[in-house]
Amino acid sequence: MESILLGVFEQGMIYSIMAMGIFITYAILDFPDMTTDGSFPLGGAVTVALMTSGITGIAVFGLVIPSYIVALPLAFIVGAAAGVLTGVIHVKFKVRDLISGIIMMTALFTINLRVAGSANVPIFSRDNMFMNPLVSSVFTGNGKKYSTLLIIFFVVLICKLILDAYLRTRSGLLLRAVGDNPQFVTTLARDKGNVKILGLAIANGLIALSGSLMAQWQRVFDLQQGTGTMVIGLASVIVGMSLTKGFSFIRATTAVILGSIIYRGCIAIAIRFGMSANDLKLITAALLFVILVLSREKKKKVAHHA
Amino acid sequence: MMKKGLRFLSIGICVVLMIGLIGGCVQKATETPIPPTEEPVVEVSPEAEAAPVTEEAAAAEQASAEKVYTVGINQFAEHGSLDNCREGFIEGLAAKGLIEGQNLKIDYQNAQTDIGIANQIAQIFVSNKVDLICGIATPSAQASYNAASKANIPVIYTAVTSPEAAELVKPDGTNPGMITGTSDLLPAKAQLEMIREVLPEAKKIGILYTTSEANSKPMIELYEKLAPEYGFELVIKGISTGADIPTAADTVLNEVDCMTNLLDNTVVNSLPTILDKANAKKIPVFGSEIEQVRIGCLAAEGINYLELGRTTGEMAADVLLGNAKAEDLKFQTIEESNLYLNEKVAKELGITIPEALLSRAVETFQD
Amino acid sequence: MLELYGIQKYYNPGTVNEMCMFSDFNLVIPEKQFISIIGSNGSGKTSLLNIICGSIPIDEGKILLDGVNISKWEEFQRHRKIGRVFQNPALGSCPHLTILENMSLADNKGKAYNLRYGTNRKRLQDYRELLFQLRIGLEDKLDVKVGNLSGGQRQALSILMSTMTPIEFLILDEHTAALDPNTAETIMQLTDRIIKEKQITAIMVTHNLRYAVEYGNRLLMMHQGHIIIDKSGAEKEAVTVESLVGKFSEISIELGN
Repeated sequence: MESILLGVFEQGMIYSIMAMGIFITYAILDFPDMTTDGSFPLGGAVTVALMTSGITGIAVFGLVIPSYIVALPLAFIVGAAAGVLTGVIHVKFKVRDLISGIIMMTALFTINLRVAGSANVPIFSRDNMFMNPLVSSVFTGNGKKYSTLLIIFFVVLICKLILDAYLRTRSGLLLRAVGDNPQFVTTLARDKGNVKILGLAIANGLIALSGSLMAQWQRVFDLQQGTGTMVIGLASVIVGMSLTKGFSFIRATTAVILGSIIYRGCIAIAIRFGMSANDLKLITAALLFVILVLSREKKKKVAHHA
Repeated sequence: MMKKGLRFLSIGICVVLMIGLIGGCVQKATETPIPPTEEPVVEVSPEAEAAPVTEEAAAAEQASAEKVYTVGINQFAEHGSLDNCREGFIEGLAAKGLIEGQNLKIDYQNAQTDIGIANQIAQIFVSNKVDLICGIATPSAQASYNAASKANIPVIYTAVTSPEAAELVKPDGTNPGMITGTSDLLPAKAQLEMIREVLPEAKKIGILYTTSEANSKPMIELYEKLAPEYGFELVIKGISTGADIPTAADTVLNEVDCMTNLLDNTVVNSLPTILDKANAKKIPVFGSEIEQVRIGCLAAEGINYLELGRTTGEMAADVLLGNAKAEDLKFQTIEESNLYLNEKVAKELGITIPEALLSRAVETFQD
Repeated sequence: MLELYGIQKYYNPGTVNEMCMFSDFNLVIPEKQFISIIGSNGSGKTSLLNIICGSIPIDEGKILLDGVNISKWEEFQRHRKIGRVFQNPALGSCPHLTILENMSLADNKGKAYNLRYGTNRKRLQDYRELLFQLRIGLEDKLDVKVGNLSGGQRQALSILMSTMTPIEFLILDEHTAALDPNTAETIMQLTDRIIKEKQITAIMVTHNLRYAVEYGNRLLMMHQGHIIIDKSGAEKEAVTVESLVGKFSEISIELGN
């Protein structure tokens, strides 16, 4: 029992960083970003490529940072670059939002394969975020079981706090404004296209970071894993935001993290009751539909109200 | 007002689901008849374990069901070969006295090609404290190993084409932990030998493979290594989706004397297209398993997945009964292959299959 | 000063629906002038505003703002010097952001949107005073989301925000049309006060002939892409609603209605 919950929390929280990215694209920008299905494994591909390259660490001011930690910011940067490309395809070349994401996702499939070198790259034999000499020296005895969860919690917390803080900066406010009312951003003499690109970059950076953590956690990169990531993220965002709607003191990012954990919990339940993974997708779809209808999310598109 | 009610309803649903999870676990925990002492599970020193275990093995052989073992099967996808593996696995366990429904409980879960789900399945097995996890196909084997290694539960894998590439075996050939199993690496040597026998004049063999399928790469490497020994030159073409196959097949067929297939899912699914094009050019296509020969490949030296599963099941039984330790058992590759022939295709292509092959074929299709 | 010379604009060029909106259209708006524009539907009022703002491109001609040719500028670039209030109150603010956040965004126009804290607590008192001048009780609702405000409140806030930073030109696009008569009256008075206080050059498109007569110091009437009435100063003072109604009927008869 305990280890199921541990697993639900560990995976749920790793995916919650990805869900925060979906929160930016779906809830803030109102952009159905299919890039997700490519940028999530991209984070994993970059991570295993770095970890199997033989580079064990990078020295910064005489301090050697192990490559499994370097992988996280690196994944963020590479993911952000993918987001920028999706944004440029959409904004500068005037390709529809959904299509630009699909173009990028398709391109990333090949890129991921090239970066990782193979469709399945195990890293069982290498140190990672959760299993390394430092962790095993800090966590001994009973604490050992929770070391992974604690590390994930720490990373998620940092991501959440930074994202929360960012959304309250001037740049962050402008980002929220562009999804809310693009015309307003134009009246503020800002190029709404560039703001969108920025949002997509941050979102896909977070998604790739989550992919990097996932690859390290499961100790293997799997090319096919990206398929369906966006749906998982959407489910987490919608479930989280709908359930916490009445509680205004809960921040959206917290809601998204909760949503992600609940989603994982539901899957664990479904597996326990012997449902096949195929039924699972139908259940996810039904869950999404029901929650969307129940909460009747007010469409943010300004043009519709008067 | 209405809306608020609905919101509480949805929160209610969620709470019910969560309670379901907890309830389900408790129920499962009581269902799983783990002896209160939990002796077979963990952290028993080898010496201490040895004695009671052999007794137990003897007891199990007499089919006295005082201990019921639980085995979780984490299967990656639902398709013929893997299903055969699973069936063989259960037969193999039975052959060693572990019979499902008597002293063996099987918990079978299928990840439907999603490694994320495979991870969760493995975790649920671990939390149910199963005695052994069987991972069928590479990603499921990796997910099972990842979850089980933290809990000291042995993992037996099967249908992993290259345990080395999957890092389920260390470069020095030893197991990285309580994990071992069987590999379904194709008998490439036998296949090349057979092709040479059927086509003494052939020079170039064409292979199509999907770049995104993990199992294809080690197979290609093996073929590349072995082909020169038999005087063959390989023409290898990578594809990314099934839609690329017609063009890729045309290109390859222009250059080669024959083609051979891997266990590549995408390519195997499009085999009829490839066969059509090859037949039009009178170029023989060799398969990798019985089903491919049935639908029109000339011949195949394939492994029998049922057999592979049986070998795996026997290894699992040895581990469960304490006759061997997973970390010490070397992973196995099926050495012998079965020859399958299709005489109708041979006739159409105007090829005479040597008598030696006909006589040792396990199955020959006539029509 | 805003100058438009030789503006030409065709809609749906090259199709059977080709329609000439403007051909050789000229207009000069000197500084500190408050122009109201009237005209029937399709007369080109809103197209004119869109051309000035850059939300629709022109085929030929040039637009000078203080002598600088801005006709090739993007819409957002022109807004560095132009403020705009729309007919739809929802377009002037962000519904999911609070009043404070909306005002902070507007207050930052022309400066960098960087990683500094979005809402400046030091300006809080200033914001309250600005809101207090609207006299609709918004000064106590700084942390309320704008989406929860009424149309009139949002429109008042839009006008306030569009003039928070120094701009050279204010565009009012039928900004009272979606409001009830009482609220419209209040908003119109507020608009007039702000324009006079800040001495901004402004163009107002309206369907309310009384507003056109009562407010502003120049009146234009447009018809089929041409200016058919252009009165300012004392001439404008003499214009009555009745005379405008008469002109409208004249046009209708011309069109055969």
